[in-house]
Amino acid sequence: MTYQLLLPQIFLFLWAILIFIIDFVRKEKKHNLAYVALLGIVITTVLVLTSQKGELFGGMFQADSFSAYFNLIFLLTGFLTIASSVEFTQRLPSNKGEYFGLILLSMVGMMFLASAGDLLTLYVSLELTTIPLFVLASYRKDEFKSTEAGLKYLILGGISSALLLFGISLIYGLTGTTFLTEVRTTLIVRFLSTGNVGPALVLGFIFMIAGFGFKLALVPFHMWVPDVYEGAPTPITAFLSVASKATGIAAFLRVFFHAFLIFQVDWVMLMAVLAALAMIIGNIIALLQTNIKRMLAYSSIAQIGYILLGVVAASSRGVSSVAFYTFVYLFANMGAFITAIAFSHKTGSDEIKDYAGLSRRSPALAAMMAVFMLSLVGIPPLAGFMGKYYLFSAAIEQRYIWLVVIAILTSVISLYYYLNVVRQMYFQTSTEESPILMGAALKTALLICVIGVLLLGIYPNIFLNFANQAAMVFHY
Amino acid sequence: MVGLNHYLVLSTILFCIGIFGVLTRRNAIGILMSIELMFNAVNINFVAFSKFVTPTDFVGQIFAIFVITIAAAEATVGLAIVLLIYRNFKGINVDNINIMKW
Amino acid sequence: MNYVYFVPLFPLIGFLINGLLALARKSYSDGKHPLKSLVSWIGCTSVGLSFLASIAIFFELLALPAGERVVQKIAFPWILSGKFHIDVGFLLDPLSSVMILVVSGVGFFIHVYSTGYMAEDKGYARYFSYLNLFTFFMLMLVLSNNFLLLYVGWEGVGLCSYLLIGFWYEKKSAADAGKKAFIVNRIGDFGFALGVMLIFWTFGSLNFSHVFENAPHVLALGGGLVTAITLLLFLGAIGKSAQIPLYIWLPDAMEGPTPVSALIHAATMVTAGVYMVARCHALFLLAPVTMGVVAVIGAATAIYAASIGLVQNDIKRVLAYSTISQLGYMFLACGVGAFTAGIFHLMTHAFFKALLFLAAGSVMHALAGELNMQKMGGLKKYIPITFWCFLAGTLAISGIPLFSGFFSKDEILWKAFSSPHGHFLLWLIGVATAALTAFYMFRLFFMTFLGKSRMDPQVESHVHESPKSMTIPLMVLAVLSVIGGYSGIPHSLGGSNRFEGFLSSVFEHGHSETQAAAYHAVSTEYLLMIISIVVVVIGILVAHRFYIQNLNIPKRLAIKYKFPYRVLFNKYYVDELYAIANGIASVVKGLGVLIRKTQTGYLRNYALSLIFGAMLILVYYIFR
Repeated sequence: MTYQLLLPQIFLFLWAILIFIIDFVRKEKKHNLAYVALLGIVITTVLVLTSQKGELFGGMFQADSFSAYFNLIFLLTGFLTIASSVEFTQRLPSNKGEYFGLILLSMVGMMFLASAGDLLTLYVSLELTTIPLFVLASYRKDEFKSTEAGLKYLILGGISSALLLFGISLIYGLTGTTFLTEVRTTLIVRFLSTGNVGPALVLGFIFMIAGFGFKLALVPFHMWVPDVYEGAPTPITAFLSVASKATGIAAFLRVFFHAFLIFQVDWVMLMAVLAALAMIIGNIIALLQTNIKRMLAYSSIAQIGYILLGVVAASSRGVSSVAFYTFVYLFANMGAFITAIAFSHKTGSDEIKDYAGLSRRSPALAAMMAVFMLSLVGIPPLAGFMGKYYLFSAAIEQRYIWLVVIAILTSVISLYYYLNVVRQMYFQTSTEESPILMGAALKTALLICVIGVLLLGIYPNIFLNFANQAAMVFHY
Repeated sequence: MVGLNHYLVLSTILFCIGIFGVLTRRNAIGILMSIELMFNAVNINFVAFSKFVTPTDFVGQIFAIFVITIAAAEATVGLAIVLLIYRNFKGINVDNINIMKW
Repeated sequence: MNYVYFVPLFPLIGFLINGLLALARKSYSDGKHPLKSLVSWIGCTSVGLSFLASIAIFFELLALPAGERVVQKIAFPWILSGKFHIDVGFLLDPLSSVMILVVSGVGFFIHVYSTGYMAEDKGYARYFSYLNLFTFFMLMLVLSNNFLLLYVGWEGVGLCSYLLIGFWYEKKSAADAGKKAFIVNRIGDFGFALGVMLIFWTFGSLNFSHVFENAPHVLALGGGLVTAITLLLFLGAIGKSAQIPLYIWLPDAMEGPTPVSALIHAATMVTAGVYMVARCHALFLLAPVTMGVVAVIGAATAIYAASIGLVQNDIKRVLAYSTISQLGYMFLACGVGAFTAGIFHLMTHAFFKALLFLAAGSVMHALAGELNMQKMGGLKKYIPITFWCFLAGTLAISGIPLFSGFFSKDEILWKAFSSPHGHFLLWLIGVATAALTAFYMFRLFFMTFLGKSRMDPQVESHVHESPKSMTIPLMVLAVLSVIGGYSGIPHSLGGSNRFEGFLSSVFEHGHSETQAAAYHAVSTEYLLMIISIVVVVIGILVAHRFYIQNLNIPKRLAIKYKFPYRVLFNKYYVDELYAIANGIASVVKGLGVLIRKTQTGYLRNYALSLIFGAMLILVYYIFR
């Protein structure tokens, strides 16, 4: 067996442990461990890019183009998160090192999850992803909001994983296996011999959709999102909103497209309805938000609705558009959050109205924020436009016109609140004139996001090719 | 003779009790315990399926062991967070913990 | 033909450099940008170079045989994904070459004008970067060879328009006007996006040549699908080109700097809708119902906006309503299948309306920002260059023979009458609009430049002619407004209508059809021409009587016909329509307030919603 396939995950895990150890043994806590963590991520990225394809443990672990694609998403998100946490951790009274170790551990979980070919791997790596996140969400131990966010996230996360597990146990009971490919073949055989697969499968679907729905923050499983996003430290919110969502997407695609694609009549329409709900409710409530983190939380609920359009299409183009949009979403959303981080470091505020006059205080920062907002709306030629167009056309191809109409209509609504931020920055004045100063790490992170947003809009082919390859993993 | 259905009925009842506990308990620790009940219901499922559906294979039992382990980890983190809550809010009644809403 | 890449590239480079200069934060905190001359040079040169490239392209295209004047240039493959293929590609044909000439040419002069007009503004670099960006997007819009890239330009110009209308955001009205323009345009763009999606759904491609070549085979003449597609596309055009009922944003857009009004809200962006309809003529001709809608909305908008223009006192607003009205003419032309006439009018209108706006800007410059015509008068002796240029523009827009507007407007009126899609009533409305246009334009002209001065003495003492950077573009545009029409002298007047000949390869389909049906005698054409000249002259004479000879008549009329006057003065009270749009927004918000109530902050409620969600899915499966 070639354990080499596991090398990126093993390396990152060891690196995380290393960070814990360094943090524990060193006496002088002057130096910031963020750069050590960043180095680890860079090395892991190289390992991912050079690693081979294959499977391990009889198929429990799949290293394929799909996992490579999502691994890159996780690594990039982790990189941006840690880069934007440098100043945040400097202000922490203690436990600066653990913070980075926990982020890396969570990333290890995500990377395993993207490779999961088995429900057991899936579950264990899902928990490895979330448990560090519980800790990170409540990292500001003395802050009421942060601990409240941690508690809410923990308890609701616990319930959702119990639901997911119940679904998994039913699937296991029905098929006698936890391997996704075997689940599929067993179900097909059962279906061909008896003509139906019985209500147990449907019950399994229900519980699994509820479980994944929590991760993806689908309406009505989205309640935790605004509160946790608002309360958690902003870098962690950014991480949650992108990496944790991408994890949910990867897991959902792995399970439903590997094992249950032939039974798509049983769940595609449901996902279409959930997508419509997410777009409508997310966008409408986002209209009313005054706190930027909360606004972005609701916007992320709506964005997942758009992503589901590709899932609903249940085609190779659909999956490739989902994968592509995840990248698009990564850059724009991380960028918006990093701007919020920079802004609140200086002003201590997350209120949208305090962004007034930012275009004069810090023209470059305001221009970048405007680019992120416009990309989230889907204004061409930015990445968001390309991603949305790709998703919509995948759904159109499968004749989901009603869903696309809702999607376009709700993006008109979304314009209102995204543009509100732009309006504050450009068309409102404030007495405050001092610029927003940023450290080098934050600047780099912002620059990466801007370049990503522009590049994916103007020359999306590089990523589209990867996304297409990732989509080829499944049999349609 | 106790069959698969008996186990399944038991686990379903246990699961429902867990859900009921989560929805009605105001004490954060109580909620955590109810979640543990739900996990244990799942474990019964796994072990029962393992015994009756795949008698030669131990996947279900192994799965149950993993679930137990992870539930322990989750409980640890959970209790730590509850401790923080207690420090900040001077209590662990979840109904008093709603600074953030809307 | 390889110059085509440079046409949009230069303004893009200009935007990047000027954008970076604008971002240098400290630079303009003291009022002026230290690199002001650099900014002006880059801003103007980039567009000027693009204009030169356009000229080169135009002549190369002209050198080709008429049948081969369609060239596609692919910059790079944009989306490559299986059979799903879209390029960043440019379509060069007579239509797009005329458009890039107009956009970069008029754009260049307006850039030059801006160096004078905006000289004292502290957002100088920001202004030029927006203007360059706008030019870039506009050129992409008219050059694109597929719907997706067209949409990129379409949204891009809308964004720049939003930024430029709200350029002086310290004024609340400016920021509000920008927002209004953006929101109203959203309604149109929604339709446009749906139309594009529907095209993709039908043809599996968004490439112009593919769609238009296959349209007759895929779509039935007059079928429901093509009617839906074209109506949705036209909805986009209505928003962008400010037609009934979505025109309400354009008058407010006058809050932006005057060169912006000239460039974006008169000469180029607002004509994008006309361009798009002309570009998609292959689809529109398959949908007679839509053609009727286009013609009727165009004619209705023409006369409607002209009637509002009769009584307005704000010099820029009059011009804004005049723009709406003239755009109505262009749609009227498209609706009756006379796409060439529509594009011809688009071009001449770009010249004389840009001229009029810039001249109005020069007046404002002279009068320290005064816009109210009641406080002008007798300006002729103070600002003679502006006076003469304005006169040229006024004569052109009124349709006085030998001026450019005459040829293009008359072409439209003739086609409205003679084309198989046309109708006598459409012609009648067109002629009535011509009379109204002559009246309100000369009213504006008389009240501003002739008669006794009604200026504040304090203002009057400072009146001065604008600097050369502003007057030279005025003069150039004045010349163009006079001679711009000679490229399209109709056959009946002994001309060869080279413009129509040039564009005919694009509109072959529509052209041959109108030609075949145009059996009307030349004498009819002369008669109609004479009628339109007569009504125009009457309009001018009435204006002369009202505003030069006997100033009391308008006042008496306003008192005598109080109700119609109030209605016109208050623009038919239609701004309330925008209130409806706002009403919808508040309904949505109210809905949000309700839904938001579910987000109680109580952990146990959240847990309940988790379980409840699972239950709902169960119910879904039971009742499926």
